[in-house]
Amino acid sequence: MPLLLEAKALTKHYGVTIALDSVDFSVPPGITGLLGPNGAGKSTAIKLFLGLIRPTSGSAELMGVKPYDSLEIRERLGYMPEHDCLPRSVTASEFLSHMAQVSGLPPSEARTRAADTLRHVGLDEERYRPISEYSTGMKQRVKLAQAIVHDPVVVFLDEPTAGLDPGGREEMLVLIRRIGRDFGISVILSSHLMGDVERTCDQIIVLENGRLVEEGAVSGFTEESQTIVIEVDDRREELTTALAKQGMSPRVEGHSVLVEVEREEQYDTIRDAIVKAKVRLRRMAPRRKRLTDIFKDPSK
Amino acid sequence: MTQSPGEVYDIGYQPYAGPREGRARARWALWLNGVRAALGLGRGWSSKVLPIILLIALLIPALVFTLIGSILGELGNTLPGQADYYRAAFVPLIIFSAIIAPELLCADRRDQVINLYLVRPLTSTDYVAARWLAFFSISLVLVYLPQLVLFIGLTLGASDPKSYLSSNWLDLPRFIGAGLALALFTATLPLAAAAFTTRRAYAAVFVIGLWFIGAATGSILSDVVKGSAGAWLSLINIGFVPILINDIIFDNISESGAAGELPKAIVIGWYMLLILVPGAVLWWRYRRLGV
Repeated sequence: MPLLLEAKALTKHYGVTIALDSVDFSVPPGITGLLGPNGAGKSTAIKLFLGLIRPTSGSAELMGVKPYDSLEIRERLGYMPEHDCLPRSVTASEFLSHMAQVSGLPPSEARTRAADTLRHVGLDEERYRPISEYSTGMKQRVKLAQAIVHDPVVVFLDEPTAGLDPGGREEMLVLIRRIGRDFGISVILSSHLMGDVERTCDQIIVLENGRLVEEGAVSGFTEESQTIVIEVDDRREELTTALAKQGMSPRVEGHSVLVEVEREEQYDTIRDAIVKAKVRLRRMAPRRKRLTDIFKDPSK
Repeated sequence: MTQSPGEVYDIGYQPYAGPREGRARARWALWLNGVRAALGLGRGWSSKVLPIILLIALLIPALVFTLIGSILGELGNTLPGQADYYRAAFVPLIIFSAIIAPELLCADRRDQVINLYLVRPLTSTDYVAARWLAFFSISLVLVYLPQLVLFIGLTLGASDPKSYLSSNWLDLPRFIGAGLALALFTATLPLAAAAFTTRRAYAAVFVIGLWFIGAATGSILSDVVKGSAGAWLSLINIGFVPILINDIIFDNISESGAAGELPKAIVIGWYMLLILVPGAVLWWRYRRLGV
């Protein structure tokens, strides 16, 4: 599969501040999450791939082209910033048609694409209203629509769910998944919300302090771990004692007792301990890894 | 013949396979959008009111001169003509430019739309050049349209239009040159001021203030300080410099007061400086813009 993005020893300094420190990663087509806390280097990486800044050393390539050396490649990429970026006095229809033309589309095609794109993001009825009258959720949709109106190969979304209520956030994530899977537009989703990334993305790039922490398929980070979660109603202390007597190292977390399993036969040991401790078992299952674990232990 | 019932299908998302016209289309779209934004087109009525009022204010002197000229006939020759028109129209023109031009740049930075432009196939220089060209185009229409109305009016109002045309045809290339000089000035200075603020009002106040203070200071100093020093000091009235160029073009420099005593090269050089410095400042401010 051809690579969409490729960073080779990508380094960016702002004076003495190192925003990215010799980072190497590659991104195939699909939906990719760019994760990291504030100051991790996410915005710098996006700016480099958008061609807005040049690297101090190394290279950032978009479909084999260095975007800071080519304006043509920008015809095929889209960008949705985190902050407000919409004019107040024009209608969504006029704005989208204009942005499509600024991306290189002829006027008649731009108008058609604007109407189609607004329909796809659910703003068909409201497209002739001034943007100033829109709610936060509707403005986020217009921001998303302007990023895809010219049918880019890849779209960079910077914190697309920022400021949305839970319902709006869910709708936005559904829309992003549709863009990536149904529209065939690759998505680079920059976010500090790991839940959003976990539910939406196929692969992730994790940055921290300008360095690459993790890279790979999301499924690899959310697979089952060797930790067994035993959710019980009561007698947690008794269960912990029973497990400890069997040479295990249980720990209590909320209503659950957690224990590490290294061998298959230890499941029988746990079962026996539950019976012996006379606890009322609600659920017992291997715990799935979560993306948050990356930041708890960056070495993993 | 039976007709089959119509059905509507949702064909889903359609990838775009049409032409992509790149940077040239982007520049054109920005220019057109700038013209529309300045004139309030595609926006609510409140955005159109100010441009319409100012446009009418700009056309009024031409209509008044034409009307009086046609009523008075030969006596109308003593009235201001093509050579004097920009002297009369300069105030509404500078007010129009000071108020309208900054909107082309301030709004994009205030609403942060510029961040969307700069990730598309154009450079920050393309952006600012397209915006400048948009307002320059409007300025050209504003300076030429009333002059054209006046020229046609005076020709048709003359007792012998043919004779009027043969003796005044040179006014046509002259007002084209003078109008060009005026439009360059009124398009560049307000946009350069707008490059430093996101509030249109601040830029407008700065430009009108600069013109007003320059006019007052220049007039007072050239009255108080006599001789060549007074002539040099009159150049502080920067708003009057395009009128000096107009007077040079119409060979009417004797009407220009103290500044008329200066060599033409000095006046032209000062005018060029007043165009090139704000132009360079404008370009410099936008050169390193990023998201």
